[in-house]
Amino acid sequence: MWITALLVPPLAFVALFIVYPIVSAFAYAFFDWNGLARGEFVGLDNFFKVLFTEPYAGWTRNAFGHNVQVFFALMVLQNGMGFLLAYCLWRGLPGARFHRVAVFLPVVLSTIIVGYLFKLFLHPMFGVVNVSLKAIGLGFLAQPWLGQSSTALWSLIVANTWHMVGFPTLVFLAGMQRIPGEVLDAVRMETESEWVKVSKIVWPLVAPSATVVFTLLFVGAFNWFEIPYVMVGLDGSPYGSTDVLGLYFYRTAFGNQSGATQDFGAGSALAVLIFVFVAVVAGIITVKLRAREIQL
Amino acid sequence: MSTAGETYYDRKGLLGTLGRDGLIQIILIANTVIMLAPIVIMVFSAFKTNAEIFQSPFSIPDFTHFGNLLKIWTQTNFLRYLFNSVVVTGSAMVLILVLGTMAAYAIARYEFWGASFILMFFLAGLTLPLKLAIIPLFILMRDLGILNNQLSLILVYVAMGLPTTVFILTGFIRTLPNELEDAARMDGASELRIMWSVILPLVRPAMVIAAIQNVVPIWNDFFFPLIFIQNDDLKTLPQGLTSFMGEYTTDWGVLFSGLTLSAAPIIVIYIFLSRQFINGMTAGAVK
Amino acid sequence: MKKRNLLRLGAALGGLLVALPALSQELTFWSWRQEDKAVYQQLIDTFQAENPGITIKLEAFEAANYNTILSTALAGGTGPDLMMVRAFGAMESIAGAGYLMPLSPENVPELANFSPAAVAAETMRSDKKTYAVPFASQTQFVLYNKAIFDQNGLKEPQTWDEFIALAEALKAKGIIPFANGTATAWQNETIVGALVSSIMGRGFYDDLIAGKADFTDPRYTEALSKLKDISAYFPDGFIGLDYPSAQQLFSSGMAAMFAGGSYEIANFRAQNKDIQLGVFAAPGKTAEDEKLVAIYFDGGYAANAKTAHPEAALKFLNYVASKKFGQVFANSLNNISTVPGVTFDDPLLGEVAQLNEHSIPYLMLVHFRYAEPSGSVLLQGEVQKLLDNKTTPAEVGKALTEGLATWYEPFKK
Repeated sequence: MWITALLVPPLAFVALFIVYPIVSAFAYAFFDWNGLARGEFVGLDNFFKVLFTEPYAGWTRNAFGHNVQVFFALMVLQNGMGFLLAYCLWRGLPGARFHRVAVFLPVVLSTIIVGYLFKLFLHPMFGVVNVSLKAIGLGFLAQPWLGQSSTALWSLIVANTWHMVGFPTLVFLAGMQRIPGEVLDAVRMETESEWVKVSKIVWPLVAPSATVVFTLLFVGAFNWFEIPYVMVGLDGSPYGSTDVLGLYFYRTAFGNQSGATQDFGAGSALAVLIFVFVAVVAGIITVKLRAREIQL
Repeated sequence: MSTAGETYYDRKGLLGTLGRDGLIQIILIANTVIMLAPIVIMVFSAFKTNAEIFQSPFSIPDFTHFGNLLKIWTQTNFLRYLFNSVVVTGSAMVLILVLGTMAAYAIARYEFWGASFILMFFLAGLTLPLKLAIIPLFILMRDLGILNNQLSLILVYVAMGLPTTVFILTGFIRTLPNELEDAARMDGASELRIMWSVILPLVRPAMVIAAIQNVVPIWNDFFFPLIFIQNDDLKTLPQGLTSFMGEYTTDWGVLFSGLTLSAAPIIVIYIFLSRQFINGMTAGAVK
Repeated sequence: MKKRNLLRLGAALGGLLVALPALSQELTFWSWRQEDKAVYQQLIDTFQAENPGITIKLEAFEAANYNTILSTALAGGTGPDLMMVRAFGAMESIAGAGYLMPLSPENVPELANFSPAAVAAETMRSDKKTYAVPFASQTQFVLYNKAIFDQNGLKEPQTWDEFIALAEALKAKGIIPFANGTATAWQNETIVGALVSSIMGRGFYDDLIAGKADFTDPRYTEALSKLKDISAYFPDGFIGLDYPSAQQLFSSGMAAMFAGGSYEIANFRAQNKDIQLGVFAAPGKTAEDEKLVAIYFDGGYAANAKTAHPEAALKFLNYVASKKFGQVFANSLNNISTVPGVTFDDPLLGEVAQLNEHSIPYLMLVHFRYAEPSGSVLLQGEVQKLLDNKTTPAEVGKALTEGLATWYEPFKK
């Protein structure tokens, strides 16, 4: 009665716009598609195509490899910096409040704004980066950042780090602030070494924050789409060196200007594979990290 | 502080203290500069001409040079995009809060079979990246006849925002004491009355957190408008941004002013409400 | 008495209501040329004035997403009555699904007079039916800034060596010879067609299509290595320069030449009203080698097979096949109209039409976009690698041939 009235509308929303599409996505992958018209049931054909038939298999491997690279890079840069900054903020030195507001400011910006901003900065002739390098005499370091396979992906990684580092910073900070004062006093009596304090006490005790931050980074790294889309375009220019699963999926499902045709079947199969991979691994990560968490 | 023997600080004296803390301050200040510099450059460049941008990117501009900003304001659909974003985000937020509170109240308060299961159902929604179900969503919207209609965006955002909202509100409501409601019940108030007059005022802080947690991702979203909306008059701000980035590619002053105007609303709100923003966006992540 | 009058009135009104839909029909017409909206509206107004009772509603979309938007709408039954469609492979994906009305000289008489190549571009290979009225051809060649050339006493080159010398001279004067950047993927395909068509030569093209040669042919790989040579005259850091930035360099006068398509004429004139444009075909090795440009057909106008107004749609299609339409199209939109008999008021377009008489098709777009991996995507990636010093012309030829062999029969050994 009353409970049902309260629950049905919200549940209906989630069921219709989240659960039903995800389940359908699984189903669609088993059919052949002509544009957007569904064809016949083809079993696992689309999955085989995407995983084992060239050229798709090569593209899949290439994109997947880049996602892995991005994940590890961001883990070190974004989460690593986040922890370091959180620690610095934790000390509560004068100005910490201001720094806290500043570090989170980029996070609230739209990814599109960040992408375009960095694209303009990295312009080989007029961008701030190269212009500054030339001005201070380091002109030989000026490169076509987004045009070289060696620097393109890293440029995207740096842009992403700038954008999002505030998030792990504040999550770690919150975790650090929850460490009971008694524990810290006890530690101070045992040793003066900051290193010991951080590695043996602080780090284990912020495990809940670490779990959240790691899991979210993993999911984010494998679903990466906006930054590459805005900065290098759908093809993962130059020649696929910035291609990631998000771009590849969109290209396959919705078509590309220079490509042949769109393939909803292959696109759906790709989506299902990405989804299953992310869900399984994220689940494993969470379980393993949860086991680390020490409850006080 | 400690009395057991000489500490590191005592040994090194003032210099020791300054050394460690000094290093930390340096790191923090350097980081703040890195965080703010791009934004400052963006705003400065909005007031410059092409030549000024190319030759002296860091110089302080003539702030009375409004030309670029005016161009974006009057010659593009900027106001329209801003309006669309407000409409879409606002409607989605209202629905999320209403429906989320309803569900959270039911789950938190009423002991019934399946309560945990339903909570799990909402939690599952938290972890699923909806982007990958875009194809069926697209076809669903087409079948419902709301493709190229802002309603498609609003419905998707509501569905995406409900899980975290329900999660936050449930946890919060569970901490509220039952006495107030029991008293109201004994006075003969109907369930609806109880929810409206007793619970809602108390839940407000959590609703603010849930609101902020959802507003930012919805306002900034680009992917769903990209797929669902083709009509230029219906585009939201991030999507519209790509339109005028494409139109003015040769005029960097105008490009930067487009970026500045697009970023301005959220930056301004953030600076005034930074504490709530930080709490809101990290809630759920911090248990 | 009153009743009978009422009845008569009722019958008259009823008759009118039934006839009204037939009197005023509204058709939708979709296009990917947002830049040309104003001119199209003008053309539509002319048609509507001559065909009272038919109104056409124009909707223009972003080019990059147009194919997707169109195929989606058609599949969902919400497609337009009239639409612009691409040519070759991209057209087949829509026609093949049965969405387009077949056309022929029976329902569009002018079609019989169009050039066979143009009609072939809009004909599906499998059923030999034509599905669209072609509207323009586009040519890939070299555009240049006449003022810069005149100021420096430079002339259109007749041989490849002269071409290089020309670039050297410009560089020595501090002018960027070519504005081209290759960060945007499809620009890599454009420069191949525009700069080295003469080097690969008509003989190679004929052999390729006859199945006697593939992309490992020395004529093609030599063309690629000449492309690499001349890229030394692209701007510094050009591999990171995207398409809009490259256009900017040319239209602002910082660079003298732009290897691109005839569609750029309208773009550059819009970006810089005062620019004086010239065009030439990039030369071959010797002065006797045929100077070739790469040509393709951009698209056509088609009708929805399931339109509620087939006769009105056909009326419009006949209109766009007419010389009247083609003339306005050519003069206002700076495009080479495929309508037979159109003359070009703009001398530059006249030059383009002349260059078109010595052309080979724009290879990948025309012949190799029928299945994945599309030849275009392959070529774009390989050329990016080549210009970044990561591969050699021979390896590129091999990669193209092997990639295409997965679906292109003549390459399967």
